[in-house]
Parts: sequence; structure tokens; C-alpha cells
Amino acid sequence: MLLHGVKLGWRPWLAGLPVLLIFGPLLPGLYWALIPAVDAAVWQALWRDGQWPQALRATLISAVLGTVLACGLATLLATLHYPGRLWWTLQRRLPLLLSLPHAAFAVGLFFLLAPSGWLARALAQGLGWTSPPEWITVQDPYGLSLALALAVKESWFLLWVLASVLGEQAVSRQMAVARSMGYSRFQTWQLILWPLLLPRLVWPMVAVFAYGLSVVDMAIILGPGTPPTLAVLIWHWLTDPDPALQARGSAASLVLLLVLGGGALMLRGLWWLRQRYRPYPTGQRKPAAAWRWLKLHIPLVLTGYAVVAVLLLWSLAQSWFFPALWPQALSLQSWQQANWAPFWTTLWLGMAASLLCLPAVLIWLEWGPQRLNTLLYLPLIVPALPLVAGQYAVLLPLRLDGSAVALVWSHLLWVLPYMVMMLIGPYRAFDGRLMTCAQALGCSPWGACLRVKWPILLRPILAALAVGFAVSVAQYLPTLFVGGGRFVTVTTEAVALSAGGNRRVLAVQALLQIALPLAVFGLAALLSYWFGRHRKGLR
Amino acid sequence: MLIIKNLTISHSDKMLVTGLSLAIDDGEVVTLTGGSGSGKSTLLNWMIGNLDPVFLATGELWHNDIRCDTLPIEARRIGILFQDDLLFPHLSVGQNLAFALPLGWGNAQARRQRVAQTLADVGLEGFHDRDPATLSGGQRARVSLMRTLLAEPKALLLDEPFSKLDAMLRLQFRTFVFAQIERLRIPTLLVTHDPADVPAGGRVIKISQGKEAYA
Repeated sequence: MLLHGVKLGWRPWLAGLPVLLIFGPLLPGLYWALIPAVDAAVWQALWRDGQWPQALRATLISAVLGTVLACGLATLLATLHYPGRLWWTLQRRLPLLLSLPHAAFAVGLFFLLAPSGWLARALAQGLGWTSPPEWITVQDPYGLSLALALAVKESWFLLWVLASVLGEQAVSRQMAVARSMGYSRFQTWQLILWPLLLPRLVWPMVAVFAYGLSVVDMAIILGPGTPPTLAVLIWHWLTDPDPALQARGSAASLVLLLVLGGGALMLRGLWWLRQRYRPYPTGQRKPAAAWRWLKLHIPLVLTGYAVVAVLLLWSLAQSWFFPALWPQALSLQSWQQANWAPFWTTLWLGMAASLLCLPAVLIWLEWGPQRLNTLLYLPLIVPALPLVAGQYAVLLPLRLDGSAVALVWSHLLWVLPYMVMMLIGPYRAFDGRLMTCAQALGCSPWGACLRVKWPILLRPILAALAVGFAVSVAQYLPTLFVGGGRFVTVTTEAVALSAGGNRRVLAVQALLQIALPLAVFGLAALLSYWFGRHRKGLR
Repeated sequence: MLIIKNLTISHSDKMLVTGLSLAIDDGEVVTLTGGSGSGKSTLLNWMIGNLDPVFLATGELWHNDIRCDTLPIEARRIGILFQDDLLFPHLSVGQNLAFALPLGWGNAQARRQRVAQTLADVGLEGFHDRDPATLSGGQRARVSLMRTLLAEPKALLLDEPFSKLDAMLRLQFRTFVFAQIERLRIPTLLVTHDPADVPAGGRVIKISQGKEAYA
């Protein structure tokens, strides 16, 4: 680190270049995409639009309820079980659950919750139903099933964030200190850990809310149909050939941004109030809360497994009539007749995006201005819709829309921040003296990185590559919008098939969507084991 | 009196502590030394009840006639002082102490007075509303010890409490700590790798990779 300060020269510029190429074009793009909304007539048209109120209601309910439930589940689980054996087990399951793509999860949940789904079939066994009940359990007009899906899926993400924060020694020691003074685990969470940790969880929570506001793939599968959620409606408008509708889409995506800003401000205000009103410590030690019977982790983890199980069964089912719990006949037909084209498209797209991003991330972390990192995270906490519209608006005059290059570029905006997020911890924890040693031994800064730093960081680098690949696989909006519908990935295919009635074909595509990131995570683990097999210090 | 009976701690196939038995009288300070990785901190974690589940421990911990090793941390009332002060950064100095102070000191006003008095006793008068982050290392160490003691622990564990202080402060703080223990008459186990930390005439136990030697 010390030697770095001597002569950096052109290197920060080199580090900034790829980031500039990914983020820079967004500025004019966002301007062009959102400028049509600067017109009172557009807003009046939006206000008078027949679908608008219900769409906004469904979006608000699903995003707010989904975020509140996800936060509630994650905080409750941490409060009840950390520290303890159960927490460690749950923590080990999280990476697997997190690798489930959103769209595939939504499809699986649909198969579980639908009136003819597994849950209804299980009920039918006891109640003697012979046909599916006439209930609206999915695609309900209020977006409740979408909220449930978001709550479960995002609670895994928040638990994973919490797990990494709770892994810090200072945090676990503060828990031990407060408990050794006679406070129960529950009280320690309430009085010490939450006030300490919540400020650090604000951004992940905002990211969850932003995701819920602008999610399109899950909303098409589980959300209401006519009118759909606001995000889906905006999506229809923005892709409409009619300029008036496109302008309405721009205006409505500004509404999404406003809602996000409002939500973030409200959170901030609540936190401020809580800070203002902190009573003097009373010293009262309350007996341990007897809530531990609440085994919330079981349904949470089980949902993940059940989703994969029901997808597998449907992909293998030849015939499976209500109310049977198990298919009448199994066959490999759906797999033999599967359309593998989306699989290969997804594979090269993901490889290209993650492999292109890796050098950009590495030189950014090495030489880039680190105080701008917050800027890199913006795509994670801003609704994706306006961003994708901005990307498209830039590509249009360049006549690059619908090209493979543009498609890969559009994915980088989300792949990059996730890879930076994965690598920044190990990069900061890296012992800078090793680099000083290498340079003292005559390595150039490049040589020291190539021969010392990056080989030592191989394990986190491989993990970041896998995460980058998974992020690319999950992209729905940029693939459709920027790709101009010319590139079909497992994600866009699964969402498109969800409108049709063929559950077997849908299940196959959803499983392919799950299999791709899983295979890459497995490969990354295998490779890092292989490279570290004779080096205990690297594992 | 704090008593450890026949304690063995292992981690997979590695023995960290084997058959340790020890009794510490009220007001006595027993010093535990050993190289890094010898299991000193693991032993302290077992005593407060915060042992990482990867370790396997057998043995008993008693305070007078109460068995402690089966109780959760909060029921043991064994105070611990780490080398980092671990003051809660979201509370003021005074609130940190008030957090430790048990019930029975009256209303908020009375509790505040009691805390202010404690601060004055240790040379930190007027520090009640200060942010812990603005204190010097020596001041934080004193507040941290007083916080541990205000909780009225039945026994005290000190995990290298002097190692982060510079030489001058270390001497002062050491004297201060031993004076407080003397006053409260509680059994104390001190873990250190610095022979100078051992109080005059105190017992020293050396642990190294599963063996204990009495010096």
C-alpha cells in the first residue's frame, strides 16, 4: 500500500475507464428517457388512466408488505436464534437458497400456491375435494401472493447480510458483554444490537424495497393480471410504439422513484424519532422471552426446497391430475423435447458479462477512487425500470439496440456492483504488506497484482465471478428491452411460458434457470479447492 | 469462591485444556499465562458461557454452591473485561454505566446521580454525557472496567485487559484494577502473556496445548 502512493499516474484513469463506459452513457440516456415526462399533459393522461390507481395499489401493497415482512422475518429470526446452533445451521443453508433465481422461485411458488397447486392438493386429501377450489390464491388483485414471494425471497437476502455483519468479532463480543451483565439475549438485541446494526442494514433494506417496486418477472408470474402491477404497466407503456404511452411510462417510472424516495425518507424519519427518544437505561433485567418455540426457520427453508421439488416433479410428470399429490406417470419426455437454445444464450451471455466485469472490478479495487464506491451501488438501490429505459435510449441513436454487444453491456450495470460487493471485503482484508514485499523484491505494481495479490485472492475472485454470472442469468428487463426480444434466455423464456398452460415445459425452463448458477457456484468451489489443495493458507 | 472442576476442552482432535481444576478465593487474582493459541480465550469463553459450538467441553464451574456451567450467560453473572473496551458506541459514557447498574437505585434521576458519582470516583467527573469515541484509551479502559463492576458480578474475568495500553497507562490502570478487586472481594481470573501484569504474590498458572503447569 505504501509504495502505491509514489507514482499512480495514469492508473486511476485506467481503472475508471470501464466503470465510465458502463455508467457514463446512462446520464444522457436517463435524460432522454425521462424528458418526455416533463409535460403536464402527460401527467394528466397518467392521472386519468383507468389502470393506474389499481396498478399503483398492487405495487404499493406488494412492495411495502413484501419489504416489511422480509425485514420482520429476518430480524425476528436473528433475535430469536443468534447466537446459537440454529443460527449457524440457517446461515449455512443461505447460499443455496440465495442462488435460486427470482423467476424460477416465483414459478415454483405458483405451482405450490395455485388453486390446483401442491398445497391445495394436500388439503384436498383431507377434505375430499375432487376439483380445485375456486379461490384466488395467486395473481390476486392486491398483489398479496407477490408480496409473500418477495417476503420469503428477500428475507434470505437480508439474513445473509445480517450473517456477514454478525460474523464480526466486535458484534459477538458486545452480545457476550451485555449478557454477562445479566441481560437476556432478547433484551440485548433490543437495547444494544439493533440500535447498532440497523444503520448498517438501511441500504440493503432500501435495495429490497426498490426491487419490490420495480420487479417485473415475478410480477408477471405471481402478480395480478388486468391491471398488472405498476412496474409491469410501465413496462408495457415504455415498449409501446405510441409516443404518448412511452411518455406515460416515463412519468410513471418517475413515480416509482418518488415512492422509493418517500419510503427511504420515512425510514430515516422513524430512525430519527427513535434516536430522539431513547430512555435512560433502567437497569431492568427481564427474563428470557419464551419465543423460541417459534420455529420460523422451518417454513422459510422448507419453501425453498419445496419450490425445487415441485418444479422437478412437474418436469418429470407425464400426467398429474388434481387432487393427486404425486404424478400418475413419470417420463423424461419434457426433458428430451426441451428447448435448449435459451440455455446456451444464457450461458454465453453470463460468461461474457462476468468475465468482462472481472478485470474492470479488479483494477477498480486496486487503483480506482474508492470513495466513489457508493456510486457503483446505485443500480442496486434504484428501481431498474428507469435505468433500463435510459440504457435503451442511448443505444437507439447508436443503432446498437438488439445487438449482442449492447446486451452484454446492459447486464454489466448490475453485474459490476454485485461483483464489487463480493470482492470488497476480501480486498480490504488483504494484508498490504505482502504487496509491499513483492514490490520490494522488484515486482512492478502490475506484476505484484498478477503474481501475488490476485492469485492469493483467487477464492473470493472465483466466488465473485459466480455471483456475477448468477446476476446476469437473473436479468429480465435488460435482456428483453435492450436485446429487443432477439435474445431468449432461460429467464425470459420461463416468464413467457408462465402465461401459457404447459406446466411441464415451464418447469424445465425454470429448472434450467436454477441449474445454471448452481453449476457455476459448484464449479467455482471446485476450482478454488483444486488450486488450494496443497496450500492450507489459501483455503 | 469460584471453582473449576476437571475441565477438558477439545476441538476436533486437538486438546486445548485437559483436566484443569482450580479454585479462586474471594478477592484473589489468579493469573493464567500461555502462548497464543493455547486456549486461554477459549477457557474464558467457556467460563462466561459463550463457548463456540465447535468446541467440546466437559467439566464443571461452581460459584460457592451454585453450579454455573449449565446456566446461560445472563444467569451466571460473571463479569468479563476484554482488551478492547467494547463500550456501546450508541450510548453516552454515562448511559453505558447505567446500562450495567442493576435495579434498586431508584428512578432515572437517582440512577444518573449514582453513575455520575462513579465517574467522579475514578477521576472522570463531568464525563456523563460524553460520546465514548471522544475519550482517550486510558479513560475508555477505566469506564469499561467500571461498567463491568457496576453490574455487581460474582466473579471477574480479565482477558488481556492491559495489552492495548501504553507502558505508563498500563501501570496506572493495573494498580487501579487491583484496587477495585480488593475493594469488592470477588474471585478474579486474569489472562495475560506479560509477566509484569501478575499481582504481587499472586498465583500463576501456565497452560500450553493441553497441559497445565503450576509455577
